Amino acid sequence: MTHEMRSPGDDDPVIMTAEERSVWVYLAVVIITSTAYYAVIIPRVLSQPIEDVSWITPMLWTLGFSIVGTIVGSIVGAIGGAIGLAIRGIDPKGQLEGDMRDKDIKRLGDRRGAMIASTAMFGVLVLAMIGADLFWIGNLVFLAGTIGAFVETMTKIVAYRRGM
Amino acid sequence: MPPKPTKVTNRIRALRFESGEMTQADMAERLGVTRQTVIAIEQGKYSPSLEMAFEIARLFKRPLDDVFHYAGPFQQAEGGSDDQPSS
Repeated sequence: MTHEMRSPGDDDPVIMTAEERSVWVYLAVVIITSTAYYAVIIPRVLSQPIEDVSWITPMLWTLGFSIVGTIVGSIVGAIGGAIGLAIRGIDPKGQLEGDMRDKDIKRLGDRRGAMIASTAMFGVLVLAMIGADLFWIGNLVFLAGTIGAFVETMTKIVAYRRGM
Repeated sequence: MPPKPTKVTNRIRALRFESGEMTQADMAERLGVTRQTVIAIEQGKYSPSLEMAFEIARLFKRPLDDVFHYAGPFQQAEGGSDDQPSS
């Protein structure tokens, strides 16, 4: 038995494009992984000298989970969106794949995220010049990446929801 | 969250209904964009590129300023005209 897919009417719910879903997934992944990282690191910082704090392995795990989580979450989100439309009998063609609006929103968000990261590089430079422990240098880069990702995703979400 | 206001308004929704009740999805397919983009343009949440604005106007067989209106400084100063001041 075959089911005929129909084109969506104006009253049908509007779903997110795959790009917008990826932004939401990235935001969730950034919040979860960075929270987990700080949950591990902060108690160590409070209980031992900075030079003895083991931070490289937790950070590598955090970065690994962020990359894998974003890729897997985006794929699952895109498949979920297509299945959701198929269940309603709506043709997903022209609703999931991105277009120029997604590219414009991506450009806007990426630019704001990059501004945070480039500003933080001055801080890294200063820390290196004064001979700060590698813990501070590595963690400033990580913090800038986290804040940059948060600003980038929030900018994109506001642009998708409120307009740009 | 209320939509962010833009200075460009349009009559796309009215023109769609005048054009045989064209759906958002039909319009999106003809323009090669997503339905979400058509909705965002209609609601004034996204200003299309100049090329896309011309494509939309051609789709409805109307001049550009029958479809889009821009309340810019020239219009306010000259009482409703979008034309550039002549030198």
